[in-house]
Amino acid sequence: MNSTDQFRELIEAYALGALDADERAQLEAHLAAGCAECAKALEEARWLVSQLAYTAPEAEPSEMLKGRLMKTVRAEAGAAGGGPGTGSGGAGVAGTGMQAGSAKGAIPFWMWAAVAALLLFSVYSTWNMRRMELQIREANDRAATLLAERQKMQDRLVMAKKETMIMMDPASHKIALWGEHAHPETLEAKWHAEWGLCVEGEKVPMPAKNHVLQVWFIPKGEGAKPMPSMTVTPDASGKLMLLISNPPEQMDNTKAIAITEEPMGGSGWPTMPILWSGNVT
Amino acid sequence: MSLDATLLTRLLKKDVSAFEQLYERHSRLVYGLVLRILQQAATSEEVVQDVFLQLWRNAGQYDAARGPFVPWLLTMARNRALDHLRRKSERQRRLEEQTDHLPSVFASPNYEQALDEKRKAERVRALMASLAPQQKRAIELAYFEGMSHTEIAAALREPLGTVKSWIRSGLLRLKEGLQQAKA
Repeated sequence: MNSTDQFRELIEAYALGALDADERAQLEAHLAAGCAECAKALEEARWLVSQLAYTAPEAEPSEMLKGRLMKTVRAEAGAAGGGPGTGSGGAGVAGTGMQAGSAKGAIPFWMWAAVAALLLFSVYSTWNMRRMELQIREANDRAATLLAERQKMQDRLVMAKKETMIMMDPASHKIALWGEHAHPETLEAKWHAEWGLCVEGEKVPMPAKNHVLQVWFIPKGEGAKPMPSMTVTPDASGKLMLLISNPPEQMDNTKAIAITEEPMGGSGWPTMPILWSGNVT
Repeated sequence: MSLDATLLTRLLKKDVSAFEQLYERHSRLVYGLVLRILQQAATSEEVVQDVFLQLWRNAGQYDAARGPFVPWLLTMARNRALDHLRRKSERQRRLEEQTDHLPSVFASPNYEQALDEKRKAERVRALMASLAPQQKRAIELAYFEGMSHTEIAAALREPLGTVKSWIRSGLLRLKEGLQQAKA
């Protein structure tokens, strides 16, 4: 056996790192002398020994390890000006993000994106809140309008019921209101001791602009002052309906009822000629 | 050109994405090896971190034309792990000169590329399992614990010559088995 054969037998153990010091030193001297055969055998033996790694059970390192590694690598790549600028075309998204995120003194892209997203969210939230407030206010207004209309209809219904009862109840006292001068239409009033006075008429002329019709109670007794009551305007068809729920408590003291045309809002004293009047019997 | 070779070419240009892909491809194998040697997860992760940072910083020292990447990476990981073990035990000083952090290149046989990682692992495990228990144990003590022939002989209470023979014949059987797998 020549020296090469002797050393050749040590190659695998050398690659494995199992040679004791003296044998290792001898082999290294032989290799240093330039034995090509042993050098080639050593390269192959190193590969063979590396295959023993596969006998170790595979194990999964923690995600934290990868995180630490990537953080360091990204920082170094950024400091060195690496990444897409110096990397290959296949550096990919990760490479792009890494460089932007690790440049010294620069705010990472993801932080800008997060701030922008936060601002957008704040603006949207404020706008949405305002929009909801407006919607709530509009809904409240609509509800208030509907409630007011409902109340108005209920009031009208109550009045209509009262008017009907006054007009139909046999206990009501009829008062004919005769037209003066250019008002030949006859109005009719009925008074009920409990429910009040109701005045109605058809084809009643519309008062002048900014004027209304006003009812007056004329007390008995010479020189008694007319007592002003409610005002009314006939509808477009000339129909007139007026309920006075609180007529003078003592209709017995009322001599007559009169209607005049007065400025809008009524007057405290008749300012215009009497258009209709009728005696209370 | 293999995927690893392509990634390493990009790694030379400090392509972080290429590094990440290499880590994803090989970290489990490397970590499994280091953990088998050190038997301690936290320390093993430190070593694996050192290995991959070494790869990132010194990728240029690997020459793809002279051998496959994975054996080179595994050897670097083993050397690092044994270094760590040695620092703890002050044992096996004889390996100090061998455990340079960037291992020598490998002249892999032409069947190396034929087996994918999974099949290769299964094949190596099966071949090792086919060895006599003491023979297998001797190789494991050398590979995973960095013991010398003499230390293994003492640990197994076997003659030194027997241990040397077990280890060499076992490795040659492994080599033949891998060659047969190619065939």
